[in-house]
This record gives sequence, C-alpha cells and structure tokens, in this order.
Amino acid sequence: MALLEAQDLTLGYDAVSILDELSLQLPTGEVTIIVGANGCGKSTLLRGLARLLKPAGGKVLLNGEDIHGRPAREVAKLLGLLPQTPTAPDGISVRELIGRGRYPHQGWFKRFTSQDEAAVERAMEMTNTTDLAERLVDELSGGQRQRVWIAMALAQETELLLLDEPTTYLDVAHQLEVLDVISELNRTRGTTVVIVLHDLNLAARYADHLIALKQGKVVAAGHPADIVTEEMVKNVFSMPCRVIPDPVAGTPLVLPIGRHRVLRAESVLAAKGIHRTQNPDAGLEAGTAAATGAAQTGPAANAANEDTSQRAENVSEILAFGTHVLGVERIGENFTRITLGGADLEHFGAGPQPLDLRIKLLMQTDAAGNTSRQFGSLRPGAVLSADEATGWYRRWLGLPAESRGAMRTYTVRALRPAGHRDNRGTGAEIDIDFVLHLSTEGGQPSGGPATMWAAHAEIGDELLLLGPNKALCSADYGGIEFRPGSAKRILLAGDETAAPAICSILQALPAGITGHALIEVPETADIQGSTTRSGVSVQWLPRGLHPHGELLAAAVREVVAIPGAGAVITGAEPEDVNVDEEILWETATASTQPFYAWLAGEAGVIKEMRRYLVREAGMDRKQVAFMGYWRRGKSEN
Amino acid sequence: MNPPTRNTLHGAFTNAVEQARREPGTTRDRAPRRGRNPVARTNVLAAAGIVVAVALNLLAGRHPIAFGDLLAALGGKVVPAVSFMLWEDRLPQAAVGLLAGAAFGASGAIFQRMLRNPLASPDVIGVGYGASAAAVAGMLLFGAQGLGLSLLACAGGLAVALLIYAIADSGRHTGARLILAGIAVAAMLQGIIQYLLTRTDVRTASDALRWLTGSLSASTWERAGLLAAALAILLPLLVPAASKLRILELGDDSAAGLGLNVRATRLGLILLGVGLTAVATAVTGPLAFISFLAGPLALRLCAGRSHLGSAALIGALLVTTATFMASNILPDMQLPVGVVTGALGAPFLIWVLVRSNKEGTGA
Repeated sequence: MALLEAQDLTLGYDAVSILDELSLQLPTGEVTIIVGANGCGKSTLLRGLARLLKPAGGKVLLNGEDIHGRPAREVAKLLGLLPQTPTAPDGISVRELIGRGRYPHQGWFKRFTSQDEAAVERAMEMTNTTDLAERLVDELSGGQRQRVWIAMALAQETELLLLDEPTTYLDVAHQLEVLDVISELNRTRGTTVVIVLHDLNLAARYADHLIALKQGKVVAAGHPADIVTEEMVKNVFSMPCRVIPDPVAGTPLVLPIGRHRVLRAESVLAAKGIHRTQNPDAGLEAGTAAATGAAQTGPAANAANEDTSQRAENVSEILAFGTHVLGVERIGENFTRITLGGADLEHFGAGPQPLDLRIKLLMQTDAAGNTSRQFGSLRPGAVLSADEATGWYRRWLGLPAESRGAMRTYTVRALRPAGHRDNRGTGAEIDIDFVLHLSTEGGQPSGGPATMWAAHAEIGDELLLLGPNKALCSADYGGIEFRPGSAKRILLAGDETAAPAICSILQALPAGITGHALIEVPETADIQGSTTRSGVSVQWLPRGLHPHGELLAAAVREVVAIPGAGAVITGAEPEDVNVDEEILWETATASTQPFYAWLAGEAGVIKEMRRYLVREAGMDRKQVAFMGYWRRGKSEN
Repeated sequence: MNPPTRNTLHGAFTNAVEQARREPGTTRDRAPRRGRNPVARTNVLAAAGIVVAVALNLLAGRHPIAFGDLLAALGGKVVPAVSFMLWEDRLPQAAVGLLAGAAFGASGAIFQRMLRNPLASPDVIGVGYGASAAAVAGMLLFGAQGLGLSLLACAGGLAVALLIYAIADSGRHTGARLILAGIAVAAMLQGIIQYLLTRTDVRTASDALRWLTGSLSASTWERAGLLAAALAILLPLLVPAASKLRILELGDDSAAGLGLNVRATRLGLILLGVGLTAVATAVTGPLAFISFLAGPLALRLCAGRSHLGSAALIGALLVTTATFMASNILPDMQLPVGVVTGALGAPFLIWVLVRSNKEGTGA
C-alpha cells in the first residue's frame, strides 16, 4: 500500500509561509479528513501532499521517497487528486472526461486501450454515473458533475486519493452522496483517502482519522470520537459549542453556539464563559449522607498535612467568626436587628461595600461545643492546613445531626469597621436583620431555629458565623449574588426575607443608577427607613390580607412592561423548576446589558415572576438573578 | 484554492477578458447534438470548402482561366499567358495561403484553448506584433529577405511570447494576466513599428507597410517551400500538443494531479504556437484575425469540441476565401488579403466582447 507522509513540511506562497515544519502520516487504507477554520492552511497542506506546491522546507514522502524526486506520471499512478474547482472543457461528454483520468497510464502516442475502457467503466459504476455517460458535462447538475469528477479521479486507479473540499456548493443530500461514494471506494478498494472538508459534523462522521489544523499547526489528530470535544472545537474554530453523540451515527455531533438564536440558558453559558451559579446552600439537606464518609477521613488527612499548616486568615477565603450580641433592636413588626461584635470581625468583609453579602449563622450548637471545635481551625489566628480551608461544609455535615446545630444563610445588613461613629463597641460590628416568622403554638412562640434564636437573643449571646475573609475576598466573593455588571437601570424585588438584602444593596448603590426597588412586607409597621444615594425609587408593599407575592408580582409587571410586539424576541418558556423539591437559584456572573434585575424571596413567587420576565418580557437570563430564599410550608428561618 | 474572484485591478476590460473565457456559443445555444462525429464532418466540409475556394481562385475572378486551359497547364503543357499566371502567381499564392492559414489557425487555437479564452489568440496578445516588429526592423535596417526574415520573425515572436509569459507567470490567474500583458506589449510594439516606418526611406517603408497589411501577392515557390518545410516540422507536433491540451484544460491542479508537468507543458505549447505564427507571419505578414477567428469558428462547427486540426483547416479556408474576395471585391483594384481578413475579423471581435459581457451579466 502506498504510504504518504509529511516530514517537517514547510509550505507557503511567495514569502509567506502557511505551514511550518509540519509532520504527519496518513494511515493507509483509512479515510483521513482535515478540518480547520478558513485560512488555517488545510487546502495548502493538501496541495503540498499532492505535490502541487513545492515545499519551502521538509519533504513529502510517498512510500519513503521524496515525491518531488519522482517522475510526475509515476506519482500520478499512485496518487490521484480532485482539486476544489476543476474546469470541465466545453462540449465534453461524461465518458470522455472520465477517460482523461487515464492519462498517466497512457504513453505519448498510445491510444485508449481496453484496459483504459474497463477502468472507466468501473469508475462510472462506482460513482453511479453510467447512465450519464453520453451526456455533456455542462448539462449536469452540481451533484452529478461532482460525481463525474470523482469518477475521473477513480479512473486514475490510484491507491491514494486526495480531495479538496469535494462537497462545496452541494446541498446536504448531494454532500452525503459524494461522501458515501468516497467511503465505499475506501471500503471496497482499500484506497487511502484524504479529504479537506468544511463540515465538522460530516467530517466526524466519515473520518477514520481526523486532523484539526489551526494556523498551520496540527492541533489534534486521531479518531473523531477521541478528539472532537467542546474544547477542541473552541480552540480550532474559536466558537463555543456543545458536543453530543450523533443520534444517527454515534459519532460526535457539534452544535455550534452563536450569539443569536440560541436558547437563552445556552447563550448565557456561552457568552464570555458565563456560567450560571449554583445556590451555595444547595445540598444542605441532600448531601448529608454522602458527606459522612468524607468527614471520617478528615482527621487522618489533617495529621498528614500538619507541616503545611498556616494561619487561617492567610489561606482560607471563608473564616469562622466568633461574635457576641451587642444590641437587639425591633425595627418593624416582623423585623429584629441584631448587632454583632467581636475581635474576629476585624477580618470580616468582601470588598468595599457589604452589597448583598451573604453569611452563614450557626444556631443551636450543642453544649459540648462540637461545632465550635469543628470550626475552630477556621477562626482568625487559628492554624490550619491548606486543604482544610475547603471542605468545611462537608466536615460540618459529618457531625452528628442532633448535635451539629443548624446552619442558616443571612444577609449582612450593615458592616461597620472599627471606629465607625455608630458603633457600640470599639471593634468592627455587623448588623443582621431577622424576619420573625413566628406563630404561636400552645401559648409558646415557635418558628425556625434562626427565628427562635433572634426572638430570644440577648446582649452577650455568642454566635458563630461563617463569612468572607477580608484579606482574600473582594467584591466578586461567591456569596454576593447581586452582580449588575454595567447595568445602569436595575430592578430589585423581593418579600420580607429579601428586605435586609435589598436595603443593604440600596445603601451601597452608587449614584447614577436608576430603577425600582419593590419590597413586599407583611404589615405597614414593617416598612423601614432605607437610604440610598442612587436614583432607585423604593416602594414598600404592605401585604395586609393579600396572598403572599400578589402585590409584588403586580408591581413587577407594572415596572417591567411587556415590550411592543417585535421589539425584542420574547424568550422561550423557562425550564420548569419544582420549587418544592429543588431550590430555585439562577444568577449570572457578569452582564453587559443596560438593565439588571435581582429577585429574591419565597420560591413560588419568584418562579412566577421568572416566568413573566423571561417568557413574556423577553429578558435575557444573563441580566437577571432569581433566588428562592425559602419555600412556604417549609420551616426554614 | 483558486477563489472565483475577479481581478478588479484592471477594470472593465479584465471583466470582458475573464468572461470571454467562457467561449461564446458553446454552452448556451448549442443545437441538440448533431451527427455522430461533428469534428470529422467539419473537417470534411472545411477541406471541401478549401478545394472550392482554391478552384475559384484559379478559375474565376478578374482574369478567369478556362477549365480546359487549367487542366492543360497543370498537365505540364505550355498554354500562353495561362501557364505563367498559374505557375508563377496563382498556385504559389494558393499554396502559401493554405499553409499560412493552417499555421495561423492552429496557433490561435493552441493559445485560445490553453488560456481558455477566445481573446487569447497570438495576434491579440502581441506575439504577432513581436514577429512583425522584428521582421520590419530586419527589412528596414538590414534589408533582410527570405529565410533570414523568417528567422527574425520567429525570434521576435518568441522573444515577445517569453517576455509576456515571464510577466504573467506567477502561479495564479496566468491566463488573464497573459492576455493583459500581451495587449500592453502589443501596444508598445506597434509604437516601435510606427517609429521604424517614419524613420526610413518612403519606398522601403511602403514595402514594409504592404507586408504589414498582410499579403499573398509576393508569394513565390521559394517562400512556399520555406513555409512548407517549417510546417512539416511543426504541424506533426500538434498531435502530442493536443493530447497535453486535453489534460491541461482540466485546470492546472487537475492536470498536475494527472501527472502533467504543467509549466513545462505550457511553455512547450507557447513555443509551438509562437513558432507557427512566426513562420507564417514571416512569409505573408500578419494576416489580421485569422488565428483569432479560426479557433472559435471551428469550435462552433464542431459542436463545442475544440480540435486543433479543424482550426487549422478553417484557417486555411478563411485565407483562401479571403484571397478570392480580396482580388475580386473591387472592380478596378486588387486588395491585400489582410484588408479583407481584418474587415471580417473586427466585427467578430466586437461580437465576442458583446456576447461575453452579456453572458457574464446574464449568468
């Protein structure tokens, strides 16, 4: 079998080199397909392999011999070529054209022999052009003509066949027809085939060996199933995509992702590598069992890594802060503000402003102090190894459920560094607003662990909380979900559980931002004074006897009107989230849109508003954050 | 690799040149296929036409020769007046006309097919002018005659052809560039010829002018023999040339893929075409438009199949017919044959340009 290979091949036109010292071997008896972006040099490579271009350096070897050192006719008996745009002479019949493929087998004055005739017949049979034999090539359709050209190359009866984009200008059915013919040729005659192809999916389907070129270099080579990946396509074509198994052929199927006409969730994923985030609390309930095992290996790992230990505030983004209550203030019918202080808070913070800064509070820790011990190594000043800095959540889950206490997520309402004029003590202080979802059962108030703790909090009470390490966290800290990007108009909407976050966002918003803040609270008495430098107008919506979320949804509809027909493409129905089973949590990490919306609160209400904004108002999901803080009927706070 | 973009640098004319590449009348309005072998039929018809035209030249016209006298004179008998006219004037004229016509026709067809463009005949792309300029210079400056003149014309044509090829050969769009370079060189050579004519004695200049118009009147047996000898070498080369052309016209890449050495072949074809044009030009002067007309006409008659032999026969037919017309069209004077071929060819050139433009915009 004829073996074609390139050794340090450098090819170019004039002084411009297109391929630089490229080496490759074409597997004999297989179909090799070369893909790559426009101008990557794939056609140049094929021309070089077909000895149409003299290499500026390196060699093309045919059966181990330099292809340029052999007589052209001898090479033509081994290696056939179908260029991209061959020209058919006027008035030539199909049979005549195919017959010209016999040229290398004919001598100077030798006429057409019966051997030549037989080769032409075989070529016509294989390409299904026998019926066209007496037709004029000019009269044929594009697909027929391409088959005739292939037949001409087949009539050459070579062991190697190189084809430069044989499917250009053909419709999809004819593309398949052409590739099927080539495939069959490879199967029946064992011809080694090399094709330059534009269509990546057809290439993945028809190639035994795929070569991906980028800027004159081989980026990947191998079986399509091994090398066609999302990263490879992104690298070679600079285009994001998804790769799924082709349901028809089983080969990789590349689904390109452009800037438009893509389901919004996908475009969010694609644009600038934005990924939708997961609720950091997801799995609070679900992960318990799985985490237990990991926790048990914890101590052993600790021991092994002792010598890599460092002070916690130098290695861990998350620190545990031991605090005590400095003040308890009733700020509304259902709101209690608790001010926390403590030396640890010196290390607390993320960037300049506590903008929607979320922290975790540990309640109902047992007297034995298991939990405190567990997080002790995360406290400022404590010593821990680098790998202890992560995995704290799993370790906590590994504690006995009855004694580890409850972990709840809250938003920092205000963070005052040491020396602030409003401070009660001398150190840094934080305010946390608690919503008291209390009901009275049997004369005793009852509620979730956080509600219960806040309701009974007294000055001096200890509270362990987990939050960002000021030294290592900035405004892009993962606990901050308010990410307006470059938006100048914003919408903040939520119920009473989101009120502290909204108020803290409002307080931190710079001037020049406009928009609306809509906060639904249980009663008029819950309306709080909120301050902002921005131009955002704040609207408190006392619920009274209306169902939870009704007023908020109506206000959101009013603020974000459905655009006029045709103004934007309204979105597809967002995929359903079962708010009773899963946590609704969709946020984006960056946005270049002029408008940004942030919605948080009861999951069912948020879900309704999400449907409205995405489907009816046609908002892009990279400009919104939807967060179900809690679900009615599930005691959380 | 070759994108189908047009070279816009050269403007509108390039358009015409490029579009003319699609030879007119071959794809659009071809009648349903006639006969089994249109090439053979055309060749037979052309040969018959040549016989008729030669006979007309001998028998009819200004000084008719009676059929009986003709046969007698041909038979070797001395018929007063007739024998001299026949042997010293009409027969050598007919022989030179035939041979030169065939050479011009074949040469034109080689270039037109190789460059896939009906405009690419040697007289349009300057090869003819190269031969003319060299011949005129030889005539006027050195008094060259006969064989010397032929060799000079050959050398001139060849030099110009190689110059144009060197300008145009950069690997891409060689065809269109060759034509454009040829047209530019032709204009330059015309200037040189004009300059040479104004700088010489009026009588010598008028001889040269007559030669430049293209005429068979100076035909002698010696010249006919010279031409025949040259063509005896060159015409057989048409057979391998045709077989190479058949491959070359599939496009450079296909041809190379089939094992043809494209550059060497193209150079060989150019040499052959130049040789044919130059040897004929040296004897008759540049017979305007014969090489330009013969190829496309043969192509049409052969139902779109190009054939060098047919083109040669058509060339010969055109020259012999034009000779008869030139000597008889005006009652009181005999025109140089080049005037008639020029008068026939110019409208055809315009027709080709108009047609190719129409096809270009219509397609």
